[in-house]
Amino acid sequence: MKQIDKPLALPIQKIITESERVKTFVFEYDFPGGPGQFVMCWIPGFDEKPFGIIKKDGEGFRISVAAVGESTKAMHMMEEGDLLGFRGPYGSVFTLPEDGKKIAMVAGGYGMVPLSYLAQEARKKEYEVHLFIGARNKQELLFKEWMAEIGALVHASTDDGSEGYKGFNTDLFKSNAENETYDKVYTVGPEIMEMKIAQICWEKNIPFEVSLERYMKCGFGICGQCSVDPTGWRMCVEGPVIDGEALKKIAEFGKYHRTASGEVQKYPWIKE
Amino acid sequence: MANLSVNLAGISLQNPTVLASGIMGVSSSSLKFVEENGAGAVTLKSIGPTERPGHKNPTVFAWREGIQNAVGLSNPGIENSIEKITTSVTQLDIPVFGSMFADTIDNFKRVGEKMASTGVAAIEVNLSCPNTEDDFGRMFALDTKMTSDLIKAVKSVVGDIPIFAKLSADSSEIVEVGKAAEAAGADAITAINTISGVVIDINMKRPILTNKVGGVSGPAIKPMGVRAVWNLYNSVKIPIIGTGGINTGEDAIEYIMAGATAIGIGSGVYYRGIDVFKKVTEEMSRFMEENRYKSVEEMRGIAHKAS
Repeated sequence: MKQIDKPLALPIQKIITESERVKTFVFEYDFPGGPGQFVMCWIPGFDEKPFGIIKKDGEGFRISVAAVGESTKAMHMMEEGDLLGFRGPYGSVFTLPEDGKKIAMVAGGYGMVPLSYLAQEARKKEYEVHLFIGARNKQELLFKEWMAEIGALVHASTDDGSEGYKGFNTDLFKSNAENETYDKVYTVGPEIMEMKIAQICWEKNIPFEVSLERYMKCGFGICGQCSVDPTGWRMCVEGPVIDGEALKKIAEFGKYHRTASGEVQKYPWIKE
Repeated sequence: MANLSVNLAGISLQNPTVLASGIMGVSSSSLKFVEENGAGAVTLKSIGPTERPGHKNPTVFAWREGIQNAVGLSNPGIENSIEKITTSVTQLDIPVFGSMFADTIDNFKRVGEKMASTGVAAIEVNLSCPNTEDDFGRMFALDTKMTSDLIKAVKSVVGDIPIFAKLSADSSEIVEVGKAAEAAGADAITAINTISGVVIDINMKRPILTNKVGGVSGPAIKPMGVRAVWNLYNSVKIPIIGTGGINTGEDAIEYIMAGATAIGIGSGVYYRGIDVFKKVTEEMSRFMEENRYKSVEEMRGIAHKAS
């Protein structure tokens, strides 16, 4: 099936409350797209934003949305049958290793959206999947039950220690990787977390893929808004999934990103 | 490969493809990426007097025949852009054209003066953004007097740097506006900008774009672009950068036969990929070899000779 570039209005089939902050919206339509790809979701009257998709078996597709801004709060007010517009899927997909069957995924916050979809596909192909999910607290550990059901090995960590390891999932992964050998690692989450995982993987020579989020406008590679320095790669076409080797060429990774105007904005941890 | 070089207002281009403003022009890295994919020259995204985030999404969408956008001239403002422009000029081997917009003639002069200091090969004056009427009022390119005053004013502050007037087919007077721009000192004309349109989602019962109205580009507007070049070619002596719906070498040659000296590519990046510049030049070369044209110049305006 081909990419859809003009918003397609679809009724919300089902709304699932995942936590205090997160709701999942399920759609009947069999939208194309693989793990790592995203759709642009039009919230009429508010905005259009990128969301990673999940295609669960026997379903069209779903997106999970945290109520963090005006438009996502508006989405949380919507009811089953209300319309959202979708175009996509956009961007690159995660690839499973051809050599070896043991993989790890490190997900921070909503990074679980693309990674849970990848975990589902990997389990179907009988990969051993280790999932390092990090969240503020127990309630925010997304899709833990679903992941356990499909046979992924969940290593939870929370900031407050309400479940699993108390602390960062990056630390938990680091100590775990001292004793375990992974054929490939996948990480999606806040860029500072992705940076730490990239460092570990580079040091240990583990192949890995990261999903790099940048401000999106067109989604299909013409506006240049999401191009990264110095390669110019568009995170909606050449990305968002970037291979660990290619990532070495993206100098802005972990340092800065661009705002809607195109102005460079340094991350708070980067000093002048 | 046929010889595709052209001379555009004294600037020599290895091939006539020019990245149109507003596409891939946010950073010097993305422009370098375009150069690597075969462009003859690149135009930066328009820069204005102050930082603008642009309109809220949805700002762009596409269908088989066209792309509609109302990005709303998002840009970091001229002060924050000087270094970026200078870097682009240094890092690219092909000519880099600046592009600017503003609300008033004074602000155009202010931006133009600063842009002229960056070493750009030319400055395109965006007189015709269709998406900022609420902020800036009617576009300059709808009026011969305003166009003339603006071009004269910009010309007075940019020294020897050639300036291109970017015109709109939203004006039925495009030829008169083109003549006014030429008389005021413009060194070339870019025709055409996107054409203003409305697309409604009938299920949502509202226009798709947040701005409601937006510029249409892509194959849908090619005949209107060719017509503008066709009519301008009969009335002005300065070169024309034909722009609007060019996806193939054949499209490019059609514009050249209508009278264009160079051709702009924007939406083509969507329809054929980032290497559209390579594809278009290869296709042009093949056509020229098959039909024994020795230069682009030989084809320019040739369709006007038909009886």
